Amino acid sequence: MVANGKGKMPPIVSLKYKRGELIIKEGDYGISIYKIVKGKVRIFNESGGGEIPLATLARGEIIGEMTFLNRGEEPRTASARAIEDSELEVWHPSTLKKEYEEMPPVIKYIVNQALQRLVRMNQLVTQFAAKRQQSMEKAKQREPGTAQRFYYRKELDQECIYRPVNSPKTVRLGGRVKDISLNGVGLEVRSKNALNFSHEAGDTFHVTMMLPTNKKLTFKAKIQSVKLDRTLGRILMGLQFEEMDGENRKTLGFFMRS
Amino acid sequence: MEIDQLVYAYIANEEEYPDKTVVIEEGSKGDWVYMVLEGQLRVKKKTAKGTVTVYTLKEGDIVGEMLLLEPGKGVRSASVIADGPVRLGVLDTAHLLRDYDTVSPQLKGLIRSLIQRLEETTDKVCDLAAEATG
Repeated sequence: MVANGKGKMPPIVSLKYKRGELIIKEGDYGISIYKIVKGKVRIFNESGGGEIPLATLARGEIIGEMTFLNRGEEPRTASARAIEDSELEVWHPSTLKKEYEEMPPVIKYIVNQALQRLVRMNQLVTQFAAKRQQSMEKAKQREPGTAQRFYYRKELDQECIYRPVNSPKTVRLGGRVKDISLNGVGLEVRSKNALNFSHEAGDTFHVTMMLPTNKKLTFKAKIQSVKLDRTLGRILMGLQFEEMDGENRKTLGFFMRS
Repeated sequence: MEIDQLVYAYIANEEEYPDKTVVIEEGSKGDWVYMVLEGQLRVKKKTAKGTVTVYTLKEGDIVGEMLLLEPGKGVRSASVIADGPVRLGVLDTAHLLRDYDTVSPQLKGLIRSLIQRLEETTDKVCDLAAEATG
């Protein structure tokens, strides 16, 4: 693309990245700008050995505009990794840089403010995520196995019916909800339920149950942990809510506060 | 600062509001770009778990940069509320857009991307903040 008809644009270079490959590393210096032609790219911050996702970008979206607009004076504020096989167009920044310098000052002023705000917002996302990770860690130390459900839990013993998300609608399995929090449930089922359907971490179920207040609760939840009790022939699972509509969330909220 | 003077030249009108006035309401339509001349305003956003204050605007700060994203289609992405009496400068939108038109398509692409990401990240912060307090 020729920006304004005058001058030569350096040829556009295309790069291919395999799924999982790193494109930009946080902390590095570099002012290249990338446009995604094909595939998907995750933008993330590194924190305590983990990755905190900031955004997932797809075709047509641009990576590296922050560092460029910061005139390359600051290192990269986030990393980028291909999460699908991707193809990226690399824009050479020198031409753009000249254009940027010649931009009307009022536009520059507005762009600069947006940039400062975005830097701040990215910091906040990372801070919140780190805080959440910390409280998870603490919960893990207190009660291993239920780390995913670190919120206050209520013990109960309620019947429920459930079915794996990929099973036909007619499937009805039975179980007992042994505890519940704003984050998930503890579900106990007979081992034979697992003969026909997988009951492993990562599997997701549709669940319908009655709360002790006689209110119905429907949700989708994912298995976080599985414990086998061979002597009783039962499986105990920790499930985390995946989907719950506003009405059900309200019902649960009221119950948790009662 | 020099830049402030340059931006000042774009101010078509000045408006004053008493404390707690909702200057901009989230979800309403509007394309005006404001610059804070005096006082402070709070930027608030609605989330599933209540309203969150995203940041505070001070002198020299701009509100309404979304204009550069989709001129003419502006739906306000947050509410802006006076925190004490405020004086705002309303920028000349036509002048601003004329200037924006001189920017090359590639550079416009960068700016659009930046503003879009600012919107998305702000939404994310609001959700996380609401979750942390709620």
